[in-house]
Amino acid sequence: MIEPRPDVRLEDAPMQPVDCPSCGAQVTARKSSWDQTTVQWTSPALAQCLERRRAVEESDRPNRRAFPGCPALREAVREAAVRGILDVQSGEPLKTNPAQEAHP
Amino acid sequence: MTRNDEIRYIEVDAGPRRFARGWHCLGLARDLADGKPHQVAAFGQKLVVFAGADGGLNVLDAYCRHMGGDLSQGEVKGDEIACPFHDWRWGGDGRCKKIPYARRVPLRARTAAWPTMVQDGMLFVWNDPEGNAPPADVTIPRIPQVDDDRWTDWIWYETVIEGANCREIVDNVVDMAHFFYIHYSFPTYFKNVFEGTSAYQYMNGDGREDVRPATPSKNNPAVLGTTSVAAYHGPSFMIDEVTYHYEDLDVDTILINCHYPIDENSFVLQYGIIVEKKDGISDEDAELMAAKTGKFIKYGFEQDVAIWKSKARIDNPLLCEEDGPVYQLRRWYQQFYVDADAVTPEMTDRFEFEIDTTRPNEAWRAEVEQNLAARHG
Repeated sequence: MIEPRPDVRLEDAPMQPVDCPSCGAQVTARKSSWDQTTVQWTSPALAQCLERRRAVEESDRPNRRAFPGCPALREAVREAAVRGILDVQSGEPLKTNPAQEAHP
Repeated sequence: MTRNDEIRYIEVDAGPRRFARGWHCLGLARDLADGKPHQVAAFGQKLVVFAGADGGLNVLDAYCRHMGGDLSQGEVKGDEIACPFHDWRWGGDGRCKKIPYARRVPLRARTAAWPTMVQDGMLFVWNDPEGNAPPADVTIPRIPQVDDDRWTDWIWYETVIEGANCREIVDNVVDMAHFFYIHYSFPTYFKNVFEGTSAYQYMNGDGREDVRPATPSKNNPAVLGTTSVAAYHGPSFMIDEVTYHYEDLDVDTILINCHYPIDENSFVLQYGIIVEKKDGISDEDAELMAAKTGKFIKYGFEQDVAIWKSKARIDNPLLCEEDGPVYQLRRWYQQFYVDADAVTPEMTDRFEFEIDTTRPNEAWRAEVEQNLAARHG
């Protein structure tokens, strides 16, 4: 059987580690821009996630019973990007609102 | 003149030599449980589907183990399928129950019977190249809306796709941009999540003013936008929950998009629709809406098919940052093509990918404006 190929976009900019301060889960992430996010979990990280352990809200809809994602991790990935620990490939500055720009 | 080593070449790995492990929907039970044998070409074989007098649906290899008669040309007698050649009777469990002209049935008179499941009006068959029974935790989610009077009955379509491997359709789940160019939608939010045997797609979209009716009316209202959660549960069965947002109400629909392989180079694509009957909407209007949605989806698939038929297989797609996770989807999909004990964590570990739609949306807004200007010009 042929091995799955790696994403060509990772050749020059691979996934980087990010830790969630909320539960300590270690994932790898990548941001091509401020609004794009890739997250690769492992099963130990998923087992550690506190949000994951919370029951997903009951639903009679077949696709709404799945874990939609961890808000704490989402924040952690963004924080890592803001602090420069996680690269943002587009090189664009972080969008700030005009009021903040006026008072640097 | 460009030097050869600067050209990017399309690479094609050997195609899969087997068919995916998993539950495959063969169609609506109501269409197959009519007391007649149905021939189904699937997984490189010929199968016979029949419901016995007990009403249970069975799937057997179509060729009689006696002299090779085609059971799908035979007749249902009692709970068994009778071969048209010598009237040997086969039960849904694959065992020969009776040979009317023989004193007894010979030893080893057993043919291939496929594990089946009827759920929410659909017949599923379990395919496993290793011959194992379906694990208890590999299931298709229930769709309780099917039995709910406040929802319409299934509208169901089936079409045979020649000249393409079924893996082409699975790529669609991550392909955001094709939804604009092929399906006339306008994705504004797009995220994929893969975990275990499921692959999710969360997509919100705006209505396309350039494909809307020029003058919306009561019977032809303008869709302002859509909210959709779609997921493959296993290799071939997708449930898509789509809410259509209109000016004065939201309408919920549940779409099925499923397929089964005929062979390595053709497959049967099926899709079904049920629509919620909202208060204030007559049953007729809800049915009409289901039929209209079906037509729109059919049109979309026809456009897909035209692409599939002429495109090349490409195992090294060149992606831009605004594309979805094609490689990771294929890595997820591969779990269904290896032995169960060869499935690796990287195929099933949770993976999330959210696209930045800023730039695509700028480009598409401009294109929609152009189309509108051309229409009015």
